[in-house]
Amino acid sequence: MTRAGDGHESPHDRRSDDPGPADTGPADTGPADTGPADTGPLGDRRPDASARDAEPAETEPDPRFTLANERTFLAWSRTALALVAAGLGIVQLLPPFPGVPAGRHVVGVPLIVLGAVMAVAAYVDMMRNQRALRRNQPLPRSVLPRLLAATIGGVATVAAVVVLLSATS
Amino acid sequence: MSANPRPPVIDPANRTRLAWTRTAVAFAALGGAMLKLSPVAGLVVLVLSLPIWAVTSRRHGLGAAAASPRRLRLVTATVVVVAFAALLVAIFGHSPDSLGQLLRGR
Repeated sequence: MTRAGDGHESPHDRRSDDPGPADTGPADTGPADTGPADTGPLGDRRPDASARDAEPAETEPDPRFTLANERTFLAWSRTALALVAAGLGIVQLLPPFPGVPAGRHVVGVPLIVLGAVMAVAAYVDMMRNQRALRRNQPLPRSVLPRLLAATIGGVATVAAVVVLLSATS
Repeated sequence: MSANPRPPVIDPANRTRLAWTRTAVAFAALGGAMLKLSPVAGLVVLVLSLPIWAVTSRRHGLGAAAASPRRLRLVTATVVVVAFAALLVAIFGHSPDSLGQLLRGR
């Protein structure tokens, strides 16, 4: 076990803990991205078909990275639960919008659906990250922050329209 | 002048165990809230939070470092089931202007 629990977190660990976009990855991602597989024996760029087709070797990563990946997955799962709770609260607890009969459902139901989609996406994301860690490759970009931002922005816009329609009716 | 003391370190496994605990509490809280809106759906969500709690209580130290994909799939499946239950409550729940009532034309 390498430095497990000694408190020295690498950039890899910090990034995995942060559900933000994965565009600032660590530079020391190993030989997987610019490896010798694309380079011929004389240093030219001829691809070696057998090396290109071969799956990269997988090794078990530092447990801290795996744990950070797991915590990120759990954080997204709680976010998904919060979206479900928010959608349910909007539909069931808010007073009806006068003049807009289905107003609460238009705002709340997409949040509930997004919660379900986000739970599945978090699992897929976590498995992709774990595979990249095992292969010592850069972490893939996550679609979750953009999905969350776009949906919340859309729901907020719809909510504003519903409130305005309700106020003018 | 003494050197800068190192901050106290929390074991990553402990942090992960706390994350599992927060997740289990979130499930239970949502189940409790849904219990008020729809007793059956709330009870289902409360029961579903028990396996999450079981995963939490089984984790001990770095020896149990990574939760198996099966357990993580369990969490995902539980959130999806909870969302489905919430959708049913939202559409067909007891409310004078529920979507079910609106679709039936009241």
